Amino acid sequence: METVKSIGIDAGSTTLKIVGVNEKGKILFSIVEDADPKVEEQTERVLNKLKENYDIESSKIVATGYGSNLIKADKKVTEITCHAKGIYEYFKTGGTAVDIGGQDNKVILISKNGKVIDFIMNDKCASGTGRFLENTAWRLKIPTEKMAELALNSDGEVKISSTCAVFAESEVISHLSRGQKLEHVIKGLHRAMVKRITSMIYAVGFNPPLMLSGGVAKNKAVVKMLEEELGEKPMIPENPQIMGAFGAALIGLSQ
Amino acid sequence: MLHVKIPTRKEVIEEEKSKGKRIAAVYPIHYSRELFRAFNIQPVEVWGPPKTDTRKANAHLQSYICSVVQSGLSFYLEGYLDIVDLIVVPHSCDSLQGLGSIFKDFIKPKQELVTIYLPREKNKENVEFLANELKRIYKQLSQLCGFEPDNERLMEEIKTEEEIDTLVLKFYKSRGNLPLSSREFYTILRSREYLPPDKFKSILEYALLHASKGKLKKTGIVLSGLLPEPMDILDVIDDMDAFVAIDDMACCMRRVYEEGNSSDPFERMAERIVNGPPDPTKGNSFDERFEFIKSLVDLTSAKGVIFYNVKFCEPEYFYHPILKEKLGKAQIRSLIIENDINEPLPQQTITRIKAFIEMIRELS
Repeated sequence: METVKSIGIDAGSTTLKIVGVNEKGKILFSIVEDADPKVEEQTERVLNKLKENYDIESSKIVATGYGSNLIKADKKVTEITCHAKGIYEYFKTGGTAVDIGGQDNKVILISKNGKVIDFIMNDKCASGTGRFLENTAWRLKIPTEKMAELALNSDGEVKISSTCAVFAESEVISHLSRGQKLEHVIKGLHRAMVKRITSMIYAVGFNPPLMLSGGVAKNKAVVKMLEEELGEKPMIPENPQIMGAFGAALIGLSQ
Repeated sequence: MLHVKIPTRKEVIEEEKSKGKRIAAVYPIHYSRELFRAFNIQPVEVWGPPKTDTRKANAHLQSYICSVVQSGLSFYLEGYLDIVDLIVVPHSCDSLQGLGSIFKDFIKPKQELVTIYLPREKNKENVEFLANELKRIYKQLSQLCGFEPDNERLMEEIKTEEEIDTLVLKFYKSRGNLPLSSREFYTILRSREYLPPDKFKSILEYALLHASKGKLKKTGIVLSGLLPEPMDILDVIDDMDAFVAIDDMACCMRRVYEEGNSSDPFERMAERIVNGPPDPTKGNSFDERFEFIKSLVDLTSAKGVIFYNVKFCEPEYFYHPILKEKLGKAQIRSLIIENDINEPLPQQTITRIKAFIEMIRELS
């Protein structure tokens, strides 16, 4: 049974991510589940299940994310610090890390030696977040995964003027009722989201390379448009969703 | 932990009234406490208050007016200020000037209404302007109270305020040696908004007796803005093993005035306000504000500055981009957040404050 030196738990608004690492920081396992309302019970269940295959008795536990206050952990660290740590250790370079999460976006400037030197995150507004796309996908009855494909294959684009997650939904409906093509509208929706993210990147000061984390980094249309808007090809980890939990686990190693 | 019993605003009002004093409800920011005290008027400041239901004020104010003014008007309309004898509205910003006009033209309060037109920028002409403005208010108060305090009486009150300002500065400088949480420190400091000078002075002196030689080994923060409300922001900072080492807030440090030079009481009161610490509502230059904030950082070895802005406070917003840039060039990290004094702190704001403290700790 392999010994897990440290466990990082990222209790996000939409998903729970758990990563275990050995003493060298190598990822031994990663788990991503939709977040339950009772995240403390969900975490306990997942950790109990892990005991079947891993020795986690002496593992340090570091929690991050909105649900972290509810989780029993040795240390609690903010998502900003955890994402920066995870991304830096994954790519071994400083630059601009962008985490596009379910409910918030974070743009983090990381120094050459891996320290956070500035950051920005949205507050009180879901524009440009994963929820922005999810809301519209749900309203249009299209699977979220299909949204990127429709946007990428579109031969046109409708300008969406509103970046408010709620108003954009009604704007999409209004465009469709006026006969605009679905894929054109969806491409426009992605563009609005990317413009919101790039404005945050410029607000904090873009310093290449651009590194993405968070579930939305899997959306190929968002990635392509970010490249178009910034003129810089984003670097994406194999599993961008777990970067916060990975960073938390790495922080646990130094405890 | 230091246990200090501070009377509430209500208790102070009741006690001072029973002594025959008049009570003035004073809206933010700058005014001469000493002028009112010379007329046996106890100023009780109205900074909101937070968590007020603002529906009644919404009928009079645009939605982009800050929550300090929204709450302040609602507080009056709900009848909570019925007990006071006069209402004082300094022209600190457009919203407060608007509040003064609403009182005068639409609400027409039963109490005496005193408005104060405050000049901007430090210069001789503005001292003269404000001195004349204070003379006008003196006449208004004389008519209300039926007597005219002489210069000696005015100077006595001015000296008391100057003494207290010196004591407040000492309190600030001892911050790192005081066994007080940020919430306790600011609860004491802000009791000046309504306590008579002798009571406030004795509380400060008592707290200062408990100053130890050992400095707090925590991360110091400079808090800039209007007021620390909701006070949960102070708890969030303390929970991160940090503390507010000093502030650049309108309700506190920006009103710790220097001693005046003039032997004329009106000129001296005017000098104190005009020559006071830089303040966005006084139109001080970017450099003046930057130098002042930097001096606070240097004095306390603080590791960063949090600009905690009340939503829609235009004078504060105006300075943020340049101040952030200037502080950045001086290797001083800063964070800009905004909130409404009637709302609890959102989780995102808490995360940003915590991440900021993690960042500055890592960088220092």
